[in-house]
Amino acid sequence: MKKIILTLFLFAFYTISFSQEKSNKISIEFNNTNLKTALENIEKTTGYKFYFDENWLTAETVLINKTYNNISIEDLLNNLFENTSLNYIIRNNEIILTKNSKIHSSLPEGYFETTVPQSDNTVAKPLFHQQYDAIAQNSSVPGIIYIGKEKKGGELKSYTLSGFVKNVKTKNTLSNATIRVRGKNSSTVTDNEGHYKIVVPYGLNYIDIELVNHKKTTETIMVYDDGKLDVSLEESFNELDEVVIKTSANKNVKDVISGVSTIDVEKIKTIPLVLGERDIFRVATTLPGIKTTGEGSAGFNVRGGKDDQNLILLDNAVLYNTSHFLGFFSAVNPYTTSKVDIYKGSIPARFGGRLSSVFDIASKNGNPEKFSGEGGIGSVTSNLSIGAPIIKNKASVLVGFRTTYSEWILKKIDNEDLNNSQAAFFDGIIKYNHKINAKNNIESTLYYSKDRFSISSDSVYKYSNALISLKWNHAFSEKTKADFIFTNSQYKFNIDFDNGTPNSFDYGYKLNETQFIANANYSLNSKHAFNYGLSSKLYNVEPGYLNPKTTDSKIIPIKIDDEKALESALYFSDNYTLNDRILISLGLRYSTYSALGESTQRVYQPNAPVNDNNVIGTNYYKKNEVIKTYGGFEPRIAMRYLFTDDFSVKGSYDKTYQYIHLLTNNTTQSPTDAWKLSDLNIRPQEAHQYSLGFYKNLDNDNLELSLEGYYKKSYNLLDYKVGAELMLQENTETQLLQGEGKAYGVELLLKKNAGKLNGWLGYTYSRTFIKSDSQFLDEKVNNGHYFPTNFDKPHEVSAVLNYKFTQRYSLSSNFVYQSGRPITFPIGSYIYNGMEYTLYSDRNKYRIPDYYRLDIGFNIEGNHKIKKLSHSFWNISIYNVLGRNNPYSIFFVTTNGQIKAYKTSIFSVPIPTITYNIKF
Amino acid sequence: MKFKTQHINPLYKILFFAIFCLSVSSCTEQYIFQSNTFESILVVQANITNELKKQEIKISRSYRLGENEQAFEKGANVYVTDSEKNNYDFELEDFSGLYVSKNPFQAVPGRSYQLNITTNDGKSYSSALQTLTSVSEINVEPKIETVDGIKGVQIVVTSNDPTASSKFYRFEYEETYKIIPPYWSPNKLKVDPLSSSIEEPNFLVVPREKETRVCYTTKKSDDLILISNVGKSEDRINFPIRFIDMGSSILNERYSIIVRQYVQSSESYTYYETLKTLSTSSSLFSQVQPGFNYGNIKNNDDPEEKVIGYFEVSSVSSKRIFFNFRDIFPVEPYPPYFMECYPVELRNCWDAKGCAGATILALVKAQVPEKVYYGNRQNMDIVVFVESPCSDCTSVSSNIKPLFWID
Repeated sequence: MKKIILTLFLFAFYTISFSQEKSNKISIEFNNTNLKTALENIEKTTGYKFYFDENWLTAETVLINKTYNNISIEDLLNNLFENTSLNYIIRNNEIILTKNSKIHSSLPEGYFETTVPQSDNTVAKPLFHQQYDAIAQNSSVPGIIYIGKEKKGGELKSYTLSGFVKNVKTKNTLSNATIRVRGKNSSTVTDNEGHYKIVVPYGLNYIDIELVNHKKTTETIMVYDDGKLDVSLEESFNELDEVVIKTSANKNVKDVISGVSTIDVEKIKTIPLVLGERDIFRVATTLPGIKTTGEGSAGFNVRGGKDDQNLILLDNAVLYNTSHFLGFFSAVNPYTTSKVDIYKGSIPARFGGRLSSVFDIASKNGNPEKFSGEGGIGSVTSNLSIGAPIIKNKASVLVGFRTTYSEWILKKIDNEDLNNSQAAFFDGIIKYNHKINAKNNIESTLYYSKDRFSISSDSVYKYSNALISLKWNHAFSEKTKADFIFTNSQYKFNIDFDNGTPNSFDYGYKLNETQFIANANYSLNSKHAFNYGLSSKLYNVEPGYLNPKTTDSKIIPIKIDDEKALESALYFSDNYTLNDRILISLGLRYSTYSALGESTQRVYQPNAPVNDNNVIGTNYYKKNEVIKTYGGFEPRIAMRYLFTDDFSVKGSYDKTYQYIHLLTNNTTQSPTDAWKLSDLNIRPQEAHQYSLGFYKNLDNDNLELSLEGYYKKSYNLLDYKVGAELMLQENTETQLLQGEGKAYGVELLLKKNAGKLNGWLGYTYSRTFIKSDSQFLDEKVNNGHYFPTNFDKPHEVSAVLNYKFTQRYSLSSNFVYQSGRPITFPIGSYIYNGMEYTLYSDRNKYRIPDYYRLDIGFNIEGNHKIKKLSHSFWNISIYNVLGRNNPYSIFFVTTNGQIKAYKTSIFSVPIPTITYNIKF
Repeated sequence: MKFKTQHINPLYKILFFAIFCLSVSSCTEQYIFQSNTFESILVVQANITNELKKQEIKISRSYRLGENEQAFEKGANVYVTDSEKNNYDFELEDFSGLYVSKNPFQAVPGRSYQLNITTNDGKSYSSALQTLTSVSEINVEPKIETVDGIKGVQIVVTSNDPTASSKFYRFEYEETYKIIPPYWSPNKLKVDPLSSSIEEPNFLVVPREKETRVCYTTKKSDDLILISNVGKSEDRINFPIRFIDMGSSILNERYSIIVRQYVQSSESYTYYETLKTLSTSSSLFSQVQPGFNYGNIKNNDDPEEKVIGYFEVSSVSSKRIFFNFRDIFPVEPYPPYFMECYPVELRNCWDAKGCAGATILALVKAQVPEKVYYGNRQNMDIVVFVESPCSDCTSVSSNIKPLFWID
């Protein structure tokens, strides 16, 4: 309707314009006259009458000193308005002034044609008509900012926009904010001073400004000329609606990498909680291609990879155990985490050492301005983080601490078994950040987590993660920046079994790795961006000891020899923009691994199964003597082709090596699974992944649709012989098989980023198989055929939906469905040599029942007064609303010669929790 | 490892997780898994040895979990061939369910043997070719030892293969001991057929009809005993196979043990090793990887079919020893009888106070009496009964004297 009225209005102009053909010449003199007075003088001198808003003219402070002789009114006005933002139209004796926009006296050519060609290369047309339409349609646009003024006839194709991005409250400039022209292939990032410069096309543009932890801001601008635009961003705390997974507008289409997701931790608070905790890993598992190994278990499987094939980095240091409480809480404090980048494919060349994925977790910096904090009180855990400036605007510290009072709850429960059990954990993080000058920046992170729990009154399990990370960031030049990183990670666990008998023992394990990384980025030009560096890592593993706790014990102390190894890598990658459509990322990594002494390694008879019966000797290696070296090139290639601005296809190939293996034949990762280094008899695992994806954005980037497929082939994957026992094995290789794996899958994701209803829906079809074939009977599984791995769950559906009623109330829900995982069943008994044995099915021939669960959460925010001292919100969630009795595990117990199957489920009823969060 | 318990890891987890179930009904429930998981699989237990005898092969099938009947496979055509083209036919022995060779034969070195089976339903199976393992003679000796502070007799097996070619050993033992009940009586009680009353009969003392004084109990080892000498400087066995506490009743009279040593191939040893780990219950902290243990017998037409069992051609060496308690322990007190015996006196009368005629009648008539007659006083007014095992050894053992038994 508006369009029609506008058209009629313009018709009127069209007819009128014929009458103003006459051109009377004017002569006039101005002496230190301001524009308003000048116009009044013209009114007096000529018969013209001006129509305008006085405010427009008072803004023009330039005084005019000029004499015009015999000049046409048009030339006079053009001259007067040259350096102003004013335009005009002459209608008979009336001159109507407009600000910025030019009123056209004729319609652009082709205006009434049904389609308007949208190519970038078409000559810029007068914009007012068609773009006003666009604005009118979108009532939510707050207002248009005009850059420069429209010049009649002199339109350039594009202009330069520059300015600063600032925090709306602190007025500090913000670096690393992304500025992107929506729908155009133009984007930039603010520099260290918060300044940016970007090329924008003529006319109406939407500029999206984004920064981690800040609200995405969109400015609607009308560009007529080069100009300045300063933008203020609001911090995104208390933003309860919106997207949880942030792929910047159009990023999923434009990026060269496929299979990458970013979780902006601030935003995951809308996901329904389990026991009142936000959990980044739980959010991750709602994404296609990432699956939990089971409820209440720590690990996750990425694209058919085992749970030890994920590189979890917290501020560049490896985090070995990602969970508390057998997997119910993530070991990473969500309050101190800023974001997580998850690579399930196209792993950048700078990462290595794991086959399947990288979870690159970055923790927050403390507030450099003032003391601030955030806290949460839930029914099981409590959480507090405090940020404070050390040197204002230069150095800051962030301290986070989290603990549980489950022990207190356990004591309250009227059940003797539970009264005696323990379950406690805590974790703490200290992050220090110091901006020395424009060129140097230092960051350090200290992290420690500890769990202690008992699952029977006579045993206590403990495990802990400790890590330290130091980073020095140095800008050698505008184009070359480098990071020098030192990290150390330690993971250890311990079982203290004391039932008062001589069987009591103390069992422990410890792993330590120290790493140095030099990583550099060099932007050669707009087409090439290089990333290169080297890393080196030293492992020290104490694979286990078992000590009796009493002097009369029958237990013989065991101490497995320490292991040591050095893993190093050189890498180089180039992000190459071939043209507007093709973006190529070429990465090459060369990694090398040496198992080091002091060590004794067995030598097995060649062409015979690796077991105790075929040992032909042992080799002794002195301290730091190289036992065996493995290594190889790991190419990483990714390519993107842009069909249109909102539709692209991406393909990639990755090769990865993994030199350290988690020994677990249980399906779920348990804190007492030990990591084993490759050595003379255990080879590194190797994987090749091919992936292809299609990405399409709809509805102005509000809807994102992606379809990704992958095929992964792996070698030397760890599997276990029938009858394998892994705990405290001196010769682990005798229990292991190293087989071939293959995995493939299709991942479909539909995401709605904004609006009252937002969220995503994912579906994954994936299969993962392993094969252990050999001419030797004991090294053969399922007759040497491919069989499904423990975590082969073909179908998975996950949906996260948020609905915002008002600014203060919102509802979120989360639904998961997974096929049941494979299991090996006992299928009968037989008698052999007079004894009864249980007959087992082929490995993983059967499946446990399917898994599904629905969670619902309700968020209530405190009021939105800006001047309030603190902001708070309540979250009420119900976990497993449907009360589905999902099987956690199915296991078999032999009592009196009878084998019985049992199903364990956790949370078989809806579990409500309530959490209070506060930020000050 | 010593700290194994029969509980397995997840069981404890459940207890722990129970806190979250709070008032909820149990989080662990018995799980009925699909009945179609059962697979009837051929189980072949075949071990041809270098003993000249009628060799035995046992063929059965797997059975459903929880059921207890071993299904023998009948009607199969079973034969063993050797590389000299000899054919050794086997036939089903009805009473034992075993396939026994028609003629005695023994495995000899240098030949390879193959087991062939055609089952009733026409499926044919063959084993891989096996050769006789090297021979190593054993010796068995009883020795006095103190284990965990308890004195007793240790049965020690020794053998030595100077050529160091044996290396893999599996042991079996079978012990037999004589039982003489302390309250044996040559007589028993029976109802006098001429009694005036059927309800309140008289009892007669008559001689027992069968041997009830001397019995022999035989027990097989109930564990797989496997020893490997890989990596040892000498292929020598010095292995305490059975320890008997000095106070154990089985030493009371005369004791005998036979130990058989099978020399195995590396492959068959591995097969048995896996069998053993699969049968041991999981420990609290780690589980054993379950799965199918592949043997060396295959369906000739369908290599995918699973067959349980390893056809073994092994050399066997056995030795039996006998000893009496006093042979080993010259002065130590004899161990007690298997159970404590408490003879009771019952008044053989009816109706009056203290009469136990009804009790006596019940014991006399019982098929498996709890107590048996031992003697009488006052001309049958009082009858003495004692727990059956204390008087009649057949109630706990067998009165058939084994053929090998030497007193």
